[in-house]
Amino acid sequence: MKGRIFDKAQLSEFIDDLIKKRKVYAPINKDGLTCFSEIKSSSEIYFDFQSKLSSKEILFPRCETLFTYKRVDGDVKLEEMKVKDEEIVLFGVPPCEARGFILIDKAFSSGEFQDVYYLRRRENTIIIGKSCQYPRNTCFCTSVGGSPFGREGVDLLLHDLGEKYLLEIVSKKGEKLIDYIQKYENAAETDIKMVQRIEKVAKESMKTRLELKNIEEKLDNMFEDPLWKIIYQKCVGCGVCTYLCPTCYCFDMFDEQVTSSEGKRIRIWDSCQFPLFTLQGSGENPRPTGKERMRQRMMHKFNYYPKNYDDIACVGCGRCIRECPVNLDIREVLNKIMTQ
Amino acid sequence: MLMVDSVQTMRKIAKRLLEEKSVNLIIGYERGTLPFRTTPCFISDVKEVDRLIWDVTCENNLAKYLKDRGEKIGILAKGCDARSIVACIVENQIKRENVFIIGLPCSGVIDRKKVESELNGKEILEATISDDEIILKGEGYNKRLPVKGFLDDSCVSCKHRNPPLYDVIVGEKVLEEMGDDEFISTSKIEDKSIDERWEYFTNELSKCIRCYACRNVCPLCYCEECFVDQNMPTWLDKTDNISDIMVYHIVRVFHTAGRCVDCGACSRACPLGIDLRSITQKMVKLVKELYDFETGLMLEEVPPLATFKQDDPQEFMK
Amino acid sequence: MLNPYLPNLTVIKKITQENDLNDIKTFKLAFKNSNKFRDFKYRCGQFAELSLFGVGECPIGIASSPSDNFLEFTVKKVGMVTTALHNCEEGEIIGVRGPYGNGWPIERLESHDIFILGGGFAFTTLRSLIKYILHEENREKFGKLCVIYGTRDPGELLYKYDLRTWATRDDIQVIPTIDRASNGWVGRVGFPNQIIKEVASDTENSLAIICGPPIMIRFTIPILVKLGFPPKNILTSLEMRMKCGIGKCGRCNIGNKFVCKDGPVFSYKELQNMPKEH
Repeated sequence: MKGRIFDKAQLSEFIDDLIKKRKVYAPINKDGLTCFSEIKSSSEIYFDFQSKLSSKEILFPRCETLFTYKRVDGDVKLEEMKVKDEEIVLFGVPPCEARGFILIDKAFSSGEFQDVYYLRRRENTIIIGKSCQYPRNTCFCTSVGGSPFGREGVDLLLHDLGEKYLLEIVSKKGEKLIDYIQKYENAAETDIKMVQRIEKVAKESMKTRLELKNIEEKLDNMFEDPLWKIIYQKCVGCGVCTYLCPTCYCFDMFDEQVTSSEGKRIRIWDSCQFPLFTLQGSGENPRPTGKERMRQRMMHKFNYYPKNYDDIACVGCGRCIRECPVNLDIREVLNKIMTQ
Repeated sequence: MLMVDSVQTMRKIAKRLLEEKSVNLIIGYERGTLPFRTTPCFISDVKEVDRLIWDVTCENNLAKYLKDRGEKIGILAKGCDARSIVACIVENQIKRENVFIIGLPCSGVIDRKKVESELNGKEILEATISDDEIILKGEGYNKRLPVKGFLDDSCVSCKHRNPPLYDVIVGEKVLEEMGDDEFISTSKIEDKSIDERWEYFTNELSKCIRCYACRNVCPLCYCEECFVDQNMPTWLDKTDNISDIMVYHIVRVFHTAGRCVDCGACSRACPLGIDLRSITQKMVKLVKELYDFETGLMLEEVPPLATFKQDDPQEFMK
Repeated sequence: MLNPYLPNLTVIKKITQENDLNDIKTFKLAFKNSNKFRDFKYRCGQFAELSLFGVGECPIGIASSPSDNFLEFTVKKVGMVTTALHNCEEGEIIGVRGPYGNGWPIERLESHDIFILGGGFAFTTLRSLIKYILHEENREKFGKLCVIYGTRDPGELLYKYDLRTWATRDDIQVIPTIDRASNGWVGRVGFPNQIIKEVASDTENSLAIICGPPIMIRFTIPILVKLGFPPKNILTSLEMRMKCGIGKCGRCNIGNKFVCKDGPVFSYKELQNMPKEH
């Protein structure tokens, strides 16, 4: 493990330095609502357990313009909304959300076509994660291939050692960023040992442990299982779980007419839980009720996506558990599936 | 009657209904998966009635689950929930004979967001809930909070704590306490200047991520195709522009005119804590002022926007 | 990195009314930039996303053949975007993104007899395939070609001009058919899945391609299996709600496959191993 040591003042200095040359996004608290936002000073940073809205929306905005069109003399001119070529720092990302980016990367970069908007932003972004020392009861990252101190998806990982911070170098990108800043001391052996200690404690303190080995195989035979009819009953079919999920990436595209001759093509987050998600022009809908849509959500996360990308499309952050208006708990659903 | 005694009575009623096959299904509340949550439950097996609970965390409006069920259902309904059921019956979405209302006189439910704010967002590891007190334990804290101080705003000013319609009632009716200002959630906005109001609404509604939790938990939002999804014509767009967001909320509130019972389910469901009731309650107040009508109190009453009277106010037509 | 969400600009060169109800039209398009058209190398059975700027996009199967030097789409008016397209005039500019999808597996069809069953409006990509097979450079690569095309009534038959031309050829058997007898119609009456029983031959070594409304497919596939077509030789093209067309937006999946990317052409054998969600 290689890294630098900061005290609290030095960390603020480091971040304010970054802000001078780059766009920096970090968790903030706006009247009780925590989310990631661009900051102009390190004093705006609010470290809490988890922000309400995940950092997903910085790299994959809830609403973005893909291109604009203009009608001129019987002709049409299109202008792509190119992602700005600027360095972005995404600071304070918990390991679960960083892992979420890896999962979205796979979906958006695989195959013949690349999602240039997300991928360009991703290329331009350095992710400074913050390790999670106190996982909650709703956390289950270790059950789905992650860890509260996971290094997947981050370029640098910040550890809170109480009186000081250790900024661990994880990727070449992170190394490049920190290399030129010579004034901060290298982490000492004792500091590294402390990180290893708190990492061990954090992993052991994980209360929710789900046995999900073979869940993909289990679900292979469960498409017609009566279980779905029971599970979906209390679901009201809103989009809270999908919108707050760090790994959900379904989107919709539509045109907005600004004037009679100009407009834009816009893409926004969409949710497989909405009834029109799969409605065809003919009027047919392969997922007509909440039962099929609930099944789709679970199958996609734990069977379809794993088949395509060898990874479970859930990072165990627990947002869907905490924010679901009717307390539909994915852990309960997973346990029911595994014991079916 | 203490809520814990009500629970025994409630379970006995449910057991009897299922045994006698008076209903095929009981919709009620059971313990949730987090220390401070309850969750809707659907019970058709008489052996499972002990799952049913009743306390100040029973915040969901279960009337949501009644539509499109052909069978006879027993449903646990607080005062506001029962009013929603009446409204749905009046609008022909539920048949009266298909629903057996187990009325729950209610002194209010807790606003979880107020509690979370009190705890500064710290995790609740253990919760003991009684009628007037909640004891919350977590990492480094042990708090006793008075229920009355953390009631949902819709409950503080509630005027219909007892179900106006029921087939059986659990325990004794509670006193219909008259709050000082039953429309305080909206009158606090009316006290602001126009500019202040605009600033307040912009601040609140710009948080909206269009998850539609507010719409989906409302028992009266039952349209097969919501105006939000219609595209011939397209009424509004789904961008994060504040205009689009405001149009969604304003139109939804207009659609609830004469139908909203101010149960607060929408604002409790909002993951971002948007003060939706400042707008929804305005509509409830307007309907009361213009038409002297409160939703869901009588099966025979036709909602004002579904009928007209010769003496309807016509100020706008001058 | 190429931006797959940017449409190519095309001009509507010709609009042809296809059916009596006039809710199905064929649009012949020319790319504004001929270089882009040269790069638009497509296979039969693929589709493209047509952009009506200010209204939206719709996924439409390509009706022209790769051997043509123009691009044609046949579109039924069902919703907001297709209505806007039907309101267009020749000379207007629309966008085209594509070609997308896997298309009909030409390599598997070569050297075999092919039985094509089409129903209603779904004949568009079948027409692309037939034109391709009949092209003088290609015909000898394929065996017998038999086409059964059924619609509700004669007015609904698409590509009447092609059907007339094909009827004069001896290297293709074309059987247009309608559901119920109609005044003035002297051709066959009956469903394609009944007529196939009369003409099917050497089915173990032949391929059957079927495109039509879901109910037609549901009733026809068991008949094809009974006639002896191996499931892997029964091909169909699925319809799903699509937006991105490139497997990113997440909505057109059946199981772990995306209809826009891994389809829309699937064999019956593949469908048997996929969840019944279409």
